[in-house]
Amino acid sequence: MTVASDRLELARLVHRFGFGPKPGQFKHLLDGGIVRARASVLTHGGTDRGLARVVEPQITDLGQAPSDDAASRIYWQNVWDQYMSLAMWWLDRMVLADHPLVERMTWFWHGHWATSIDKVEFALPMKIQNETLRTYALGNFSDLSRAMVLDGALIYWLDGEVNVADAPNENLGREFMELFTLGVGNYSENDVKAAARGLTGYQVDQTSGRVTFDATQHDPAPFSLLGVHDAFSATDISDLVTSREESAAFIARRMWFRFVSTSVPMPRTLVKSFARRNIASLVYAVARDPALRRPGLSQAKSPVEWFVSACRALRVTPSKLDSGSVSWYLGQMGQFPFSPPSVGGWPFDEAWLTASSTQYRFQTAAYLVQHGSVTPLGSSKSTMVQTAADWLGVAKWSPRTEQSLRQAVSDPSALATLALCAPEYVVSV
Amino acid sequence: MGDVSRRRFLQYSGASALAAMTTNLTMQDVARAASASPLPLGTPILVVVTLYGGNDGLNTVVPYADPIYSSSRPGISLSDAQVIPLARGLALNSSMTGFKSLWDQNRLAIVLGASYPQPNHSHFTSMAIWQTASPNKQISSGWIGRWLDGQPRDPMRAIGMGSVLTPLLAGEHRVASMLPLGGLVVPTGTLATQTQQLAMVSPTDSVLAADASASIGDFYQVAATVQPVLKSQAPNAPNALAQQLDVVANLIAANVPTRVWSVTLGGFDTHADELRAQSQLVGSVSDAVTNFLTKMDATARARDVVVLVYSEFGRRVQANASLGTDHGTSGPVFIAGHRVAGGFYGEQPSLSQLVSGDLAVTSDFRDVYASMLQDVLGTDATQIMPGWTTKLNLITP
Repeated sequence: MTVASDRLELARLVHRFGFGPKPGQFKHLLDGGIVRARASVLTHGGTDRGLARVVEPQITDLGQAPSDDAASRIYWQNVWDQYMSLAMWWLDRMVLADHPLVERMTWFWHGHWATSIDKVEFALPMKIQNETLRTYALGNFSDLSRAMVLDGALIYWLDGEVNVADAPNENLGREFMELFTLGVGNYSENDVKAAARGLTGYQVDQTSGRVTFDATQHDPAPFSLLGVHDAFSATDISDLVTSREESAAFIARRMWFRFVSTSVPMPRTLVKSFARRNIASLVYAVARDPALRRPGLSQAKSPVEWFVSACRALRVTPSKLDSGSVSWYLGQMGQFPFSPPSVGGWPFDEAWLTASSTQYRFQTAAYLVQHGSVTPLGSSKSTMVQTAADWLGVAKWSPRTEQSLRQAVSDPSALATLALCAPEYVVSV
Repeated sequence: MGDVSRRRFLQYSGASALAAMTTNLTMQDVARAASASPLPLGTPILVVVTLYGGNDGLNTVVPYADPIYSSSRPGISLSDAQVIPLARGLALNSSMTGFKSLWDQNRLAIVLGASYPQPNHSHFTSMAIWQTASPNKQISSGWIGRWLDGQPRDPMRAIGMGSVLTPLLAGEHRVASMLPLGGLVVPTGTLATQTQQLAMVSPTDSVLAADASASIGDFYQVAATVQPVLKSQAPNAPNALAQQLDVVANLIAANVPTRVWSVTLGGFDTHADELRAQSQLVGSVSDAVTNFLTKMDATARARDVVVLVYSEFGRRVQANASLGTDHGTSGPVFIAGHRVAGGFYGEQPSLSQLVSGDLAVTSDFRDVYASMLQDVLGTDATQIMPGWTTKLNLITP
């Protein structure tokens, strides 16, 4: 057990299964030994003093839009304000949580069941979906899937509310199998048509996200889905699909892809830990895989992951910043909560490492440093560069970065800005 | 992120324009860029327009003369008054007056029924197939990316508008640069020197850390080249695609050494209430491309530019009950420019001989790409698409 591989493993754990360390946390975990550190990173449930500080947003059913102009302006302003409060609330949760695993998993599931407010429009259905994702974040995948197939925001997003017996709309049925539960190649075009029929009749109230079942619009006739002939409800479809062996392998692969590597395939044994569809077991198995101690499995942080980890280090609470600035910076980097680009979720790795994202990363880092605290860097010029690595949870600076940071030791704010934009922090190496 | 960023962008863009280049920011590589090594006149330039969501080809190039068209699509078929007839019983959506003028000038080629064998109905799989040009085998590099692999390393060689790289532009060894609409803001003062140091790839870097480091260097190089051009921009074009093409037009006119540009427009996934929305979308594509070419006409590059427009699939012939259409198969591809030999290529798929309710595939998109690679980019297409030896002759020498 070398110290270097402990540092590497811990840096990956805190950045991939959390959102980076709070000040002092990385050194503290390292000093306590890697075994206890692993357990600490994977801790969830129980009271969280950081999360207790998060203020609940006021998200309400705004009802139908008024017809006259003046009232309409106020109404749409409210729609916008609720969206911003919702986004700032979730960013606060990610930043303030002492044990961020649940928020991290909620973030993963948000990218998996990717639903965008750009079409849903209202914050309340998105909040309800977000709570569902959090409730089941480390629970049972079949339960999560059952809840999601009846989720108002998801149904509306994928045109489920206009999927009726007379003319099925295949959008929800197709994406449910392709992207959420089974993966391409594990179902046929006839299965898509069958699933669409089974999902007919669920109506959504757009502003509240309330889902009702209209039996007259549901197709009650039995049909064949994945080789089973029956009359299916939405829940039956979800249960049948998530019980498939291919579903376990698909979800395990997705998790490996997002948490460990997009290039190295997952070990075949991993799927065994998901036999009962227990998400926590799968997460533990991924997090404890020996691969995490080996070099060469780097992953780029997405803009939100990078932003949140910077806020944690700098003790910045997002909701206390100007929400217009936060949404602008994140928007320019290409990622804002509740607004994935498509049902396929967020891009990954090289996609975030462009010349264009580089410039906004520098601007955002400077903005956050200006609003945050760099006191953990101390004032000792001789140790500041190493202190920065411990502060930010970086395993090791490259000679290149070390040289750049050394030149900035007389100005801790500049050093912090550079460190946040250094390749070893932008990427979880 | 659509609205949030756009609104905020307009609000903040005044502030971001103030960053200026200082002399100590000049990297040795910058000498290669526009002013020092302008793209020689007469060098062909390809502009790729990607329409995300699956554009409804039947309401774009409309088989209005076929009675099956209107009977299949109650509520969402275009009437005779809503189309502009071309030939062969086909017409353009009446919102596409710009394309009609290009057609009349023999500068618009329409490839009918384009797709690939056994079309996939998934947005992601199908778009990946179009962008990688690899229907049979799943690969990660795009066809423009593989072209870049064979080019000297130069971040200006291919540029995508926006912040996030698309698979189209990722090669195995090289990626295109991305350029946001608002231009680039460069760190200044002492921070600038230290930042540039981060751009030196270190031997200890992982692949992605090296990418992160290289992106910093690319950023400085692209910024040095395009900053002077973008500073004069006012983002007042009518829609997202028009704005992107507006910037591209200005940069081409400024002689930046870029051979391939990529621009995108989303919103074509019209499962519900499609008639008006889809007409507006194809109308904005037609306007934006036509205005772009008109702008090029005023420069010495008019004959150099070729525009390619495609989407990941067409839509189902039959309407669904939500006044929309579900995911389909083949659709038209457009190629426009002075050197384009206008007219129809391939056969319009029959409405009476459908394949599982979908249009048949009558043209393979790889024939179009081969023409772009061979006749626009001057590259052996079989290097980029191994085993693909046929092409359409739609570019005149």
